[in-house]
Amino acid sequence: MEAVYAIWQRDVLKFFRDRARLIGSFAMPFMFLILFGSGMSGAIGSMMGGEEAAGPLRDFDFVEFMFPGIIGMTVFNTAIFSALSVVQDREFGYLREILVSPMSRTSIAIGKVLGGSTVALFQGLMMLVFVPFIGVSITLPIILELIPVMFLVAFAISSIGLLIATSLKTSQGFQMIIQVLIFPMLFLSGALFPLNGMPAWMDFLVKINPLTYSVDMFKKIILQPENLAPALREAMGLNLSVFGHVISFSEEMIVVLVLSILFVVLATVRFNRSEA
Amino acid sequence: MKNIVEVKGLEKNYKSFRAVTGVDFEVGEGEIFGFLGPNGAGKSTTINMLSTIIRPSGGKASINGFDIVADKNKVRASIGLIFQESTLDEKLTANENLMLHCKFYRVPKDKREERIKEVLEIVDLEDKRGNIVDTFSGGMKRRLEIARGLLHYPRVLFLDEPTVGLDPQTRNHIWEYILRLKEKAGITIFLTTHYMDEAEICDRVAVMDHGELIALDTPDQLKTNVGGDIIEIETEDNQTAWKILKEKYEVEVNEAGESLTFQVDKGSEFLVQFVKNFDIPIKTVNLRRPTLNDVFLALTGREIREEAASSKEKMKSNMRKGRG
Repeated sequence: MEAVYAIWQRDVLKFFRDRARLIGSFAMPFMFLILFGSGMSGAIGSMMGGEEAAGPLRDFDFVEFMFPGIIGMTVFNTAIFSALSVVQDREFGYLREILVSPMSRTSIAIGKVLGGSTVALFQGLMMLVFVPFIGVSITLPIILELIPVMFLVAFAISSIGLLIATSLKTSQGFQMIIQVLIFPMLFLSGALFPLNGMPAWMDFLVKINPLTYSVDMFKKIILQPENLAPALREAMGLNLSVFGHVISFSEEMIVVLVLSILFVVLATVRFNRSEA
Repeated sequence: MKNIVEVKGLEKNYKSFRAVTGVDFEVGEGEIFGFLGPNGAGKSTTINMLSTIIRPSGGKASINGFDIVADKNKVRASIGLIFQESTLDEKLTANENLMLHCKFYRVPKDKREERIKEVLEIVDLEDKRGNIVDTFSGGMKRRLEIARGLLHYPRVLFLDEPTVGLDPQTRNHIWEYILRLKEKAGITIFLTTHYMDEAEICDRVAVMDHGELIALDTPDQLKTNVGGDIIEIETEDNQTAWKILKEKYEVEVNEAGESLTFQVDKGSEFLVQFVKNFDIPIKTVNLRRPTLNDVFLALTGREIREEAASSKEKMKSNMRKGRG
């Protein structure tokens, strides 16, 4: 147990010590949310008819729409990149110190995944500093509801990261693969635009993308679609459905939970086979 | 003396390449045991097998009574490892590196503080405890690694080329620490090196070449086995000198760079007559006791430092082995 804790502690400690990374982690969300989001907001507003827009559609605020997606993106990025530390440890030699110790490989893998999830959770929570600038109302119960969901999503993604990292020898290789993976997953998750009127092939990719369900959970918690007018809800793409069945929050939770378990097992098995 | 390391027929093959070809040896408790040989001789491969990093292809070995394949984790808890390359986390402080190691090796909580102080004292780094490792010099990092390797009171400390890449002064210091360690902690030290002077410190030296153990004895005994004194001459015409030495004096001659070396009994008496009577003009002459380098030369016909030559030869021998 202490082994898991020690591995976790090292990653968390290094996260808080690395100020450049802490500050830098605000750059991407800031650009998406404030620069891209505000710009798009005006454009989308005028496309929907601007001031003359019919009824509830006048309330469509693109920045507000994007905010849960940006939280999702941050959690996703941090969690998957947390596995980079495994590749870096291999490059800088520290992985040998870990692997030649009497700790079990399983403890090491679990410690790594938990470390990545924790860091991603903090990073996600840090995004709440943007709240005052974008006019969504976030209350304490919402935050308390967000924490476990963020952690669960981060856990699933960190496991995917570890699975990839264990197979790779260089951090360049890891970054390449992650970049190739990260963008399509983000674009097809509904984080950056509403998932409406897509071609069938794209709709299929969206539905098999685990991020879609993760982002949708964040949207359901933050935007509270049950309080929105049906037309607005439709415009924001909040009626995510599979085979015509509107998928519920708890169903999404189960999907992500199952994926977490699947990937953490795969990553641990893979890590157990790796040589020092 | 009780044996702490026992090795029987240990081997490692990579496809057709036989990196280690069935070595046998024992290491007694409290001994400083050295592995000597050129790069690629199989020293590191052997250490990696003993320290459970790689799986042997055949043979058996035990450390502290635990089998290196079946009881991996118990072997790991019994040994300390210092690798050729640094394995410190340079973004953390010395203290954090040591504390993590205590946790990895389950050092009891109430003993940690005391142990960290103790090992830092052995390597003279008490005042650097709170500093980030990034700011340390190469020698300090090495010392910190040695300190860390001792934290869990290993029975055997493996040092793979512990002083490679360090300047001579730092090398000497590291050796002082290692010797201090042996006196203080009484642990067994198992090291590899290709520096002759470092091998001299060992209680026993195993000479490795092409994955085989070709000699194993105390440094003194190994040198005595070479026999007599070593005479090193440089002449105007080495080729003719070689011939004369072989025919007239009937000695085995080795070429080392610009000079020729050969062994004789009672070197100082021999030398007076030799210089007077030798037909080829002699440029320089040198008489000395055999070193471990001469031991290696006598055993293999090569100098241990002839890296280029040895790697070429290794390739040849691999090809031979591959075919055979």
